[in-house]
Amino acid sequence: MRKEMKPGVWLIVLPTTQFKTTRINVQFLAPLQRATVTKRTLLTSLLETNSAVYPTQAALSAHLESLYGANFSIGVAREGKLHRIGVTMSTVDDRFTDTPLLPQAAAFLRTILFEPNMQAGRFDEATFAREKENLDHYLASLDDDRQTQAALGVQQLYFGADQDQAIPSFGTREDLASLTASSLAAYYQEMMQHDQVVITVLGDVDPKQVAALFADWPLDARSQTVPAVAFDLPTHPDVLTQTTKVNAQQAKFDLAYHVETDLMGPKYAATLVAEELFGGSSLSLLFTNVREKASLAYYASSMFDAFRGLMLVQTGIEGKDRQQVADLIRDQLAAVVNGDFSDALLKAVKDGILDHQRAAYDSPRFLTNQALYQLLVPDAPQNFDEFAQRIKAVDRQAVQQAAADMKLQATYFLTGEDSE
Amino acid sequence: MKTQYFSDVDETVITTTLSNGLRLQVVPRPAYHKSYAIMTTDYGSIDTQFAPDGKQMVTYPAGIAHFLEHKLFEKEDHDAFDLFGETGASANAFTSATKTSFLFSTTTQLTKNLQILLDFVQTPFFSKASVAKEQGIIGSEIQMYQDDPGWRGYAGLLENLFPNHPAHVDVAGTVASIAQITPEMLYTIHRVFYQPSNMTLIVVGNIDADAIMAFVAANQAAKQFPAPQAIVRGVHADLQTDDIVPYRQLEMPISRPKTLVGIKGQVAIPTTAEGWRYQLTIRLLLEVLFGDSSQLYQDWYDRGLIDDSFDFDFTNQRSFSYGLVGGDTDDPHALSDAIKHVLLNAATQPDLTRDRVALIKRASLGKYYAGLNGLNGVANQLSALSFGQASLFDFPEILSSITLADLQAVIDQVFQAKALTVLDMIPEAD
Repeated sequence: MRKEMKPGVWLIVLPTTQFKTTRINVQFLAPLQRATVTKRTLLTSLLETNSAVYPTQAALSAHLESLYGANFSIGVAREGKLHRIGVTMSTVDDRFTDTPLLPQAAAFLRTILFEPNMQAGRFDEATFAREKENLDHYLASLDDDRQTQAALGVQQLYFGADQDQAIPSFGTREDLASLTASSLAAYYQEMMQHDQVVITVLGDVDPKQVAALFADWPLDARSQTVPAVAFDLPTHPDVLTQTTKVNAQQAKFDLAYHVETDLMGPKYAATLVAEELFGGSSLSLLFTNVREKASLAYYASSMFDAFRGLMLVQTGIEGKDRQQVADLIRDQLAAVVNGDFSDALLKAVKDGILDHQRAAYDSPRFLTNQALYQLLVPDAPQNFDEFAQRIKAVDRQAVQQAAADMKLQATYFLTGEDSE
Repeated sequence: MKTQYFSDVDETVITTTLSNGLRLQVVPRPAYHKSYAIMTTDYGSIDTQFAPDGKQMVTYPAGIAHFLEHKLFEKEDHDAFDLFGETGASANAFTSATKTSFLFSTTTQLTKNLQILLDFVQTPFFSKASVAKEQGIIGSEIQMYQDDPGWRGYAGLLENLFPNHPAHVDVAGTVASIAQITPEMLYTIHRVFYQPSNMTLIVVGNIDADAIMAFVAANQAAKQFPAPQAIVRGVHADLQTDDIVPYRQLEMPISRPKTLVGIKGQVAIPTTAEGWRYQLTIRLLLEVLFGDSSQLYQDWYDRGLIDDSFDFDFTNQRSFSYGLVGGDTDDPHALSDAIKHVLLNAATQPDLTRDRVALIKRASLGKYYAGLNGLNGVANQLSALSFGQASLFDFPEILSSITLADLQAVIDQVFQAKALTVLDMIPEAD
């Protein structure tokens, strides 16, 4: 069941008896803007830590424990030109408990979202200062993980001038520094009034009862602006490169490609198959030839972000092998472009995509996300069979064309070696 | 063949032991799309010392269990990985201190993939050339872990606690140790530790249990295995405290200091339901004392002594066990002193009350049920318990039997000053 409770506020109910839990997910969707990304991230930390009803973290955690250790979390994500705040609450199904948990879970989320720990129009100063500092520590620690550092580095390089896309989806230290307890409270009000809201409930539930639980949430009607999701960057003929020296035993070499895609249509399906064949699966040419045959990398794989027209390749290598690895990666993509792969491999890659997709229907998180995509992306497949038809329709020629449209735009090299 | 229904959790388990000794457990999940199978041997990185003939002890290079795990996929004319891939299935493997597991998941061709799994695990092929090539791949895997601060801290803690037990050795070994591995050693290990009576197979998912049982039995009946041989291991339980390194500090390229307090287990914990209950009791105790609903957590968090990287755990494996508590902090000495103080005065902590134990048990029960949603997790937990007598689905019953008095009783056994160590990691000077 999907209904628009008020303009810009949606409720989706997905009844199923497959799982032992009930999952509530509330999405707040806004246009992606560097000016608000860091605010939104800090806001999730504050809302997750305490509230007016549960003014300490201990009180809030103890309440969750009394609800059979209910899982509660708030996070942020980027989806093309959209920024999402996702609030998730997951509780055990009634057949295992001595009390129905869904009404209590909805009531808890209501207090968390609409009664934050504020005094006189500003967030509680002590909580604000602590969470701001913790977020600053977290952002400073990102470089402790070299794989993350390289992945963020290559995206910064690739998106360059477009700051909304270039910064991490969870913000920057620079933008964090100027935030205050009152400026963040003002942003909270803005978000509550303007963000599109999508509430999804999945589990052994009755849609009417669920609708009653959320009917009186204090969310006003808002202008309906489910924004266009897809982001695309014009290509340039030259390849941007950057090298960063660090203290590390292993080097990272990451590459960003511009890909031609549509959202969930035929181009998407062809690009997905081409990307899986090139580097996205354990059968891929990258995995087979760079990691396994040449022993040149511990990991070498690609990922595809259809919402941003981007394919990323990430590798962990020895610094001295960088040029050899770069050549090998170029050769693997050329092999896909030239159709230098067997029909059997193409079929196995497509079967692997279908297997993963079918298995995803065992995940409450996937099912919730799927329902959201169906709202945001007009062409999103409505079920597994629709998805499967699109993948099966991809032929050799479409794969080669999709690969030919993958244009290397940026490379980022993180190394401890002095040789480069 | 035994079929058990566990009404507390609404789960059915079918168990059997085949004539060659292989133990098989099947859990049907008809509402799911996927099936997941995991085959495990009771052999891991600590088992470098053993008697191949049952008498004469030998010592093999560190990292050889993990090396064998990698090499087993590769055959003379193909790679088993590709066989799974051709059906669209995903395959993987992992090695821990005491176990090596091989697994796959599929939504369409379960029996075909089961056959691939059983056949590649039970049909070794090792050549000089392929062993040499693997040394390169694993060499860079070892390097990658060296760059991971979380892993370095964990490894450093084990070095402090178990200086004379192979638990402190990296599962992957070192570049020097794996260079000594030969095809003959790999064949010997396979013969001794991969015999069916030292292995279990778990299948969970959308399956016909009878058909799976019959299929595996037929596959095994068609193969020749030597008579089961008793395994003589050189590794013994390490419960001593006098060799613990009480403190070390590591400098690393990190942005913020971290500290970990380690606790060495001094009691051998059996693989029975009673042993599992004992472990759960220790985990509940740690949660009662250090969990994020405790007054202590609130106080430390508000003072900036900890952030949400703060964590704690207790682990039991064949021949060793340990607990750890710690996280990121500006002042590692202050945090480790505070943790030690709580551990050594646990009995008088204000958070240790009957009500709080009841609350933590309720939360623990809910988290257990939530954990049963994922097939991979269910199968991995079944596999971890499959060499003992406890059942995963007895958890609610075992949990409900634990009392405040049980928590109080383990404090003196576990939290002793002589069993503690501290590992600090600090940002390296520029």
